Amino acid sequence: MMLSIKNLKAEVEGKEILKGLDLQVGAGEVHAIMGPNGSGKSTLAHILAGRDGYAVTAGEVLFNGESLIELAPEERASRGIFLAFQYPVELPGVNNTHFLKEALNAQRKARGEPELDSVAFLKLIREKLAMVSMQPELLKRPVNAGFSGGEKKRNEILQMALLEPKLAILDETDSGLDIDALKTVSDGVNALRSPDRSVILVTHYQRLLDYIQPDFVHVLAGGKIVRSGDKGLAKELEAKGYGWLSGQDEAA
Amino acid sequence: MSSTTKQVDALVERGYEHGFVTDIETDVIAPGLDEDVIRFISQRKQEPEWVLEYRLKAFRHWLGMTPPEWSSVHHPQIDFQTISYFAAPKKKPVLESLDQVDPELLRTYEKLGIPLEEQKALSGVAVDAVFDSVSVATTFRKNLADAGVIFCSISEAAREHPALLREYLGSVVPHTDNFYAALNAAVFTDGTFVYIPKGVRCPMELSTYFRINAQNTGQFERTLIVAEEGSHVSYLEGCTAPQRDENQLHAAVVELVAMQDAQIKYSTVQNWYPGDAQGKGGIYNFVTKRGDCRGARSKISWTQVETGSAITWKYPSCLLRGDDSVGEFYSVAVTKGHQQADTGTKMIHLGRNTRSTIVSKGISAGDGQQAYRGLVRMAQRAENARNHTQCDSLLIGDRCAAHTFPYIEVKNPTAKVEHEATTSKIGDDQLFYCRSRGLSEEDAVSLIVNGFCKEIFNELPMEFAVEAQKLLAISLEGAVG
Amino acid sequence: MNSDTQTQHDLQGILHLGQKRMATGMPDTDWQSVTRQRGTAGVAAMARPDRKQEAWRYTPLGFLDQAEYQPIVEGPFDALQLSDIEDLMLAEPPAIRLVFVNGYLASGLCSMAKATSGVVLSSLAGGLGEVPAALRQQLDAIAEHNHVFAALNSALMSDGALIHLAAGARLDGPIEILHVSVGLEQPGICHPRHLIVLEDGARAEVIERYCGLGDGTYFTNALIEVSLGSDSELLHQRMQEESVHAQHLSDLQVRLGARSRYQLTLAALGGAWSRNDVRVTFGGEGATAQLDGLMLAGDRQFNDVHLVVRHEVPNCTSRETFKGILDGSGRVVFDGHIVVSRDAQKTDAVLSNRNLMLARSAEVDTKPQLEIYADDVKCSHGTTVGELDPDMLFYLRSRGIPEHQAKQLLCQGFAQEVFDGMANPALRARAGKLLAARLLESA
Repeated sequence: MMLSIKNLKAEVEGKEILKGLDLQVGAGEVHAIMGPNGSGKSTLAHILAGRDGYAVTAGEVLFNGESLIELAPEERASRGIFLAFQYPVELPGVNNTHFLKEALNAQRKARGEPELDSVAFLKLIREKLAMVSMQPELLKRPVNAGFSGGEKKRNEILQMALLEPKLAILDETDSGLDIDALKTVSDGVNALRSPDRSVILVTHYQRLLDYIQPDFVHVLAGGKIVRSGDKGLAKELEAKGYGWLSGQDEAA
Repeated sequence: MSSTTKQVDALVERGYEHGFVTDIETDVIAPGLDEDVIRFISQRKQEPEWVLEYRLKAFRHWLGMTPPEWSSVHHPQIDFQTISYFAAPKKKPVLESLDQVDPELLRTYEKLGIPLEEQKALSGVAVDAVFDSVSVATTFRKNLADAGVIFCSISEAAREHPALLREYLGSVVPHTDNFYAALNAAVFTDGTFVYIPKGVRCPMELSTYFRINAQNTGQFERTLIVAEEGSHVSYLEGCTAPQRDENQLHAAVVELVAMQDAQIKYSTVQNWYPGDAQGKGGIYNFVTKRGDCRGARSKISWTQVETGSAITWKYPSCLLRGDDSVGEFYSVAVTKGHQQADTGTKMIHLGRNTRSTIVSKGISAGDGQQAYRGLVRMAQRAENARNHTQCDSLLIGDRCAAHTFPYIEVKNPTAKVEHEATTSKIGDDQLFYCRSRGLSEEDAVSLIVNGFCKEIFNELPMEFAVEAQKLLAISLEGAVG
Repeated sequence: MNSDTQTQHDLQGILHLGQKRMATGMPDTDWQSVTRQRGTAGVAAMARPDRKQEAWRYTPLGFLDQAEYQPIVEGPFDALQLSDIEDLMLAEPPAIRLVFVNGYLASGLCSMAKATSGVVLSSLAGGLGEVPAALRQQLDAIAEHNHVFAALNSALMSDGALIHLAAGARLDGPIEILHVSVGLEQPGICHPRHLIVLEDGARAEVIERYCGLGDGTYFTNALIEVSLGSDSELLHQRMQEESVHAQHLSDLQVRLGARSRYQLTLAALGGAWSRNDVRVTFGGEGATAQLDGLMLAGDRQFNDVHLVVRHEVPNCTSRETFKGILDGSGRVVFDGHIVVSRDAQKTDAVLSNRNLMLARSAEVDTKPQLEIYADDVKCSHGTTVGELDPDMLFYLRSRGIPEHQAKQLLCQGFAQEVFDGMANPALRARAGKLLAARLLESA
């Protein structure tokens, strides 16, 4: 099992958000995690990537057999965890190319692989750019600063393509995208699917799953996985709303 | 312990790289200041009588002045009678070529990474090196002379180009300007004189390295750059000093004169000894720098990277007298440990269509204290003048401080002034974002700080942008490694 | 200093003359005497400010040498009738109105609604009956003598509104404090002193206005203390519409309790010389202050705002927006100082100062300052000085609006952003009308 989460409980500012979550993700699998707003989807994504401000109060998170909870964010990244942010952060003055090269080489170094020189890096990044249909100009600009919403999301997928993670977590990557952008971003993700790379799609809507076919769909509600199934579950949710699960109206 | 505290502690613990003392025989006069000392300095430098008169006039004026108290820097009262006002390497006071320079001195400069020997020089950079009070060697003299450029020590200028010196010395910063400028005018020891004739584009970057070596000495250099009509020059100064327990005084004066269509770019990478972790020792860097855009369409640009000194007190300024003249000020100042900096600029718009840009980036860590203090004045006849000012402060750790004190005075309705300032710490989300991509926390801090300063580094001559970036990384080391 | 021959433009001279004229033998046990003594000591200890003092660098005080101000220390001034001040009244006068003439309460001009429980309206000189202990104790509890004028006010304070809202008390309508100055044969100086205390959870709206009747020369030297308890809220709307020959100085000092909300809207439109000192100190966490002001300096007017916002505790928010409009030989000075002390983490402060210059001989001196000793803060300031946007002006003119009218419209639009902060519609309307009138006079 690549990722194994057992009975995970976590708090933010004293408020319990995850209340005993279980999730198993095998190599090469694509899992979609759906749920109403406030159900804990983004919290789960952030906890996996190691963001400060979340207190894990119980349970375990194993990544290829190793506990993640004590690891720094960069250590997790080097081990192959990648989070595509829902709101990619702007870094004024930090050149995008420079940033990408620094990130790639830092990870390579941590894994004991040789660092890429500028020539090799540029060749590599050009390949990856084509893959996500991104304007090369965006490489010259500061990271995400002044990017449109779609450009920011594409930049996230570009990073994913470049860094070749083992486990990619896409946090609401579809939010704020029009159909064209959604399609480009999805194509990028699909191109990266491989037997040894797993993907967790965190999303509120079924729409994304038309473009990226999941192997499993989980519904997160009230801090727990309340239902799991195949992609048929997503269709059912689409038709009936989240209220169908709890017997109430959709919380969103 | 929070990560920020950890970084700051590491920062504070970092040592000073240029803290060595050169073992060299030095000719130092006894501490103290009176008219005899001034006569001695003048005599040792074989100056013309008028220079002595200038010094004495300044000294008499200085006696009636009191040290400035308005800035936000704090230091014990300086006893000006405990400072020695002249120190020179003993051997061979007159130097004709590099062969005659004390090899120990050359090794010092090598240690500092200064390309003093011509064959090792960075291509296109001419260097004047000032060691304590004396200018030691000027490289590339012949290439410059061929272009008609004068690049020599100020003492030499007093002997060789007295008419030029007499015309411009004190014409931008009068000896009555302020306490430290008056002191400098009385006791200035050496410094650099640059003269670019009409229409000449200086064929290389000019550079001066200053180093204070002897104990209990002050350094009072004076720099004068005159750019005649249509000429261009780019000048860089770098500064270091050995590690000592006492505070040493550095009170320099820099005067720039730009005639019609002339451009002067003046860059400073200041890395004087900042004192130890307890705040003991370090250089008091009290400097008066002013540029006079006398002619139409002239341009003076100040770029400074200030990482050293226990206290920095300087406001490189522009008098924009010529119509369409341009003044610029780009600054990065880092204060950590117990460093204090009160720095900024004055842009005095007198001519029509004058433009000025101020970009100031302050980084304060540990117990560092920093203030931006600036004046933008639009005089009544400064028709259509423009100023844009951006002051950003970055705070690292909860014991540092950053202040912004801009003064804006506008007397012309067609003038436009825009001032913006922000103060914040490095964003947790920025740090996390970088770390989630595999960068260590220290690398992430360095990356973000470098991005924060990017605008300024872009203004430095290329050879030195790299050096400045390195210096910043070293200054933040601890936050970085 | 003890002689009548002392020239009266000397502030100490004003003090001594004032003390002499004041009802002799004010008993030492009088509850105001401590304040008066502190003021007297302050005047003795402090020199008249000059330009070497940072807070007075841009403030000219030459007028003090031009007139011999007579301290007005005897009230009340009963000569006015309601019809005399008709023009000064708001279109819809608030039910509660305290009118002071030349510094003293004029009972005949006041309007008092029926008592609301928990609300005490009183006056310093006792015109509204005995001053309750709660207010006596609070007088002078906040005021600092940051300059000699504040000390002079404490020494010679004449009369003023004392407002107390008990915990949880809420006033529906506004309380108006209307200060009317009538020019006397010799220019007078009066010292209004107001105190507003809101206990925990109380809420009030106060309108404070300074008007001149006629165009006399006089000097209003006011001091206002405001104390807000936890979770209280005060909407404070101030309008300075003094005579064009008057000097006006008011020193407003505010202390904010935890989670309180203070909203100040200042319209400084009148006077030959006007200076508003506003000092807001955060004394409890979670409080917010919204401070807005408009400074108008028409021809021969000097208009100065000195603002100090002290963030001394964590988690407080302040927003400061001050705008200046200058015409003729008008001068605006703005000094806005935000201080964030070491403990005040999570402070969020944004200061903005924008100035519109309409004429060649006008002058703006502005000094927005940040002084920050805490690291986890978000602070910024922005300042602009410039003339009207030519594109906007052209657009209006291309629609057939004459240039001077277009300028008027744009200036009013510029000011409106500040006036919109005034909760009282009648006051808002008056501010707009006054501004338009003053701009016309200047043009």
